[in-house]
Amino acid sequence: MKLKPAAFIPELLRHIFKKPATVRYPFEKLKVPDDFRGTPVLKPELCIVCRSCVRDCPAFAIEITTLSEEEKKYKMTIHNDRCIHCAQCVESCPTKALFMDTEFEIATDSRLKLKAEYIYSRQKKTDQKSQQT
Amino acid sequence: MSILKSLIYLLIYPGLLFLFVYSTFCEWFDRKLYARLQNRVGPAYTGRAGILQPVADFFKLLFKEDIIPERADRVIFSSLPVVGLAIVLTAGLYLPLWNIDVSIPSYNSFQGDIIVVLYLLSLPTLIFFLAGWHSTNFFSTLGGVRVLTMLFGYEVPLFLAILSPAIVADSWRLAEIADFYQKCPFLLLFQLTGFFVAVIALQAKLERTPFDIPHAETEIVGGTFTEYSGKKLAFFRLMTDIEMVVGSGLIATVFMAGFPGNAFVSFVNFIIKTLIVISILSLIRAACSRIRIDQMVNFSWKWLTPLAVMQLFISILVKGVFWRILQ
Amino acid sequence: MKKITIPIGPQHPALKEPISLRMTIEGEVIKDADIRLGYNHRGIEKLAESKTYIQNIYLMERICGICSHSHTTCYVQAVEALCGLEVPKRGLYIRTLVSELERIHSHLLWLGVAAHEAGFDSLFMYTWRDREVVMDLLEIISGNRVHYAINTIGGVRRDISEQQKEKILEGIEFLRKRTEYYTNLGTTEPTFVARISGVGKLPKEKAIELCAVGPTLRASDVASDIRKDDPYAVYDEIPFDVCTADTCDVLGRVVVRVKELIESYKIVEFVIKNLPAGEIKIKAPRKVPEGETVSRYEAPRGENIHYVKSNGTDKPERLKVRAPTLANYPATIEMLKNGFVADIPLIFAAIDPCICCAERVVELIDVKSGRSDIMTFSEIKRKYFCEKKRETL
Repeated sequence: MKLKPAAFIPELLRHIFKKPATVRYPFEKLKVPDDFRGTPVLKPELCIVCRSCVRDCPAFAIEITTLSEEEKKYKMTIHNDRCIHCAQCVESCPTKALFMDTEFEIATDSRLKLKAEYIYSRQKKTDQKSQQT
Repeated sequence: MSILKSLIYLLIYPGLLFLFVYSTFCEWFDRKLYARLQNRVGPAYTGRAGILQPVADFFKLLFKEDIIPERADRVIFSSLPVVGLAIVLTAGLYLPLWNIDVSIPSYNSFQGDIIVVLYLLSLPTLIFFLAGWHSTNFFSTLGGVRVLTMLFGYEVPLFLAILSPAIVADSWRLAEIADFYQKCPFLLLFQLTGFFVAVIALQAKLERTPFDIPHAETEIVGGTFTEYSGKKLAFFRLMTDIEMVVGSGLIATVFMAGFPGNAFVSFVNFIIKTLIVISILSLIRAACSRIRIDQMVNFSWKWLTPLAVMQLFISILVKGVFWRILQ
Repeated sequence: MKKITIPIGPQHPALKEPISLRMTIEGEVIKDADIRLGYNHRGIEKLAESKTYIQNIYLMERICGICSHSHTTCYVQAVEALCGLEVPKRGLYIRTLVSELERIHSHLLWLGVAAHEAGFDSLFMYTWRDREVVMDLLEIISGNRVHYAINTIGGVRRDISEQQKEKILEGIEFLRKRTEYYTNLGTTEPTFVARISGVGKLPKEKAIELCAVGPTLRASDVASDIRKDDPYAVYDEIPFDVCTADTCDVLGRVVVRVKELIESYKIVEFVIKNLPAGEIKIKAPRKVPEGETVSRYEAPRGENIHYVKSNGTDKPERLKVRAPTLANYPATIEMLKNGFVADIPLIFAAIDPCICCAERVVELIDVKSGRSDIMTFSEIKRKYFCEKKRETL
């Protein structure tokens, strides 16, 4: 191998008047692919409360509590502060009631704000509320 | 009137204020160019295109917590940054920039001032060594030792290279050297080798890649500056920036025919010529990897010094042979 | 000259993760080195025993951020072997594709880190800029840049479309050009070569004796690669060469990795062009039959070994991970001896250390007596925390 002094200089000079590769992030944003794994979101009307997402979540981020047994009213809490965005819940769901959105700027100043709660009933007719606290 | 003029000379232009402002600009220029060479943006948010970033860094450091190690000598440890800053600012006053009459020697331009500037530019190295030594930290001490080892490498070629134009010009006074080359600029072509030797030696003096051995981050943490923080670090950084300005100003004076013209034209001359030197320094910094201390000393004695000696011979030949023919 | 011991780490700019290297030096020459581990122990193996096999895939992924696919593949292969699952060909091909893209990403990252340790920041910036290309490819395939989560027991989770294939080929073509340029640059730029050639010598016999693995071993002219020696996934169908270098120094390790990049581009192209049709996964049972197995995988850093013991339930009885970095530590000490202080970061970086990968065990050693002990957590609490409290009172 022969040594060439200043071998890098042409490449460096070539880049002086080129557009920098840096994306000035807060002002410009890159597009994420469509099937990016963002945060899990529930479509409450499809959930059959089989709890397979709860069982398979490696981070114990999904919690389903029964609000009333006779009305079949349930509450699903997705703890996004614990979520590791592996999308195993989406895979485990037999009715495709969960999906991942493409949101990637999810930082907040309190972990309580990251909690997503869905109150819903298994019957389709009763009103569905989905709220985020 | 002359007192007022001297005061302006010392405090505003080209003294304290100008050197401060211009050195922060040079740091920004260096950082921006370095970033663009690497296909990055560089400082971008403070001021237009990040031009105020070095000033912001300086003031931010001023307000940071200032820690003196318990075992360090308090007086020497705290006085070194100030002394160092004073030394490089003083060196800046000798650049023949403004208010210089070539025919009359004055307090800032006399026979032998080139030696004074070189001497003043050597002192920061000693300051760095003392700073490292008095920090009593292992990494600082190692950095300090490396500073001194490097000094023996680059100082000789730097002196030889800077003095060879002076031999041709037959003067030890910066203003006269500049004036001489303004009259016959083609003689500068014979000094090209010396110019590159001086630029590389200046790079080593400023401890920038590939010669950033004394404060190689990945090897010895902060090197000489490991224990410095807050105000003192801010002064040291400012000192290095001003040293860069003065060093490139010195090279511009002896190798680029100085800064002719009235106050404004000479100012523009100064800016352009120093920025050219700084661009070369940035390019070297981007194109190389850090070398080891033994390789550095080898390089400077095997390549730089012989080249500087060759330059000296060329200068003597030019002076002895060609000059006589031309006359 | 007086011998002094200097600590490099646990906190040091050259180390991105905590590890303590104690150097005994004379002037600038290293006479002896000692590595102390245990600053980054996370108890992952213990945690794995309380999680199901499905959950453990994602836990294994988080052993390391750079070779995340290596650990999951290794683990998943072990579980598949225990269940006796026959993974569909298409699934295996996609698995191989992601593992080669990961190797590209890891080697480019390493090249940048090595350049930075040598103070060559421009090369560092350029390689990391180009690494973004492969990161984006991985994001397109799997939905994430770092934790691909493409593996599942019995296959892979996502299929590859024609559009993605084209994008991958495009990206690989660009990377091949850049890599050829860096190969040229890294081996001809005088200051960089001066820093890396002849540094960190590890002779062939020593490398074998000290059980070095991966590019560290291959740079000492030993053609050992799990992909060839003990092929997993579909490596027995893919043509590729094992890259070696005979200089036995850091330069050799750079050359090996750069050559492997070129090989990886070939493999990726082969996989894309020969991707068979069919299913990508088969259904896996939740409960794994009783048994034990060892799975080997050639991670970018070297041989990765997972040992899984199952007891017939849905949780593993024992899961042991041997990350490649751990195998390279003894060789590192050998390389460091008689080197310069200035070369410590380069030599250490040349094994591509991943400290959190390697931190598997914490040994408690009494500083005064030098005796090592096994203690329960309550004992530790009683002995150390309570003593501290008494002292402050």
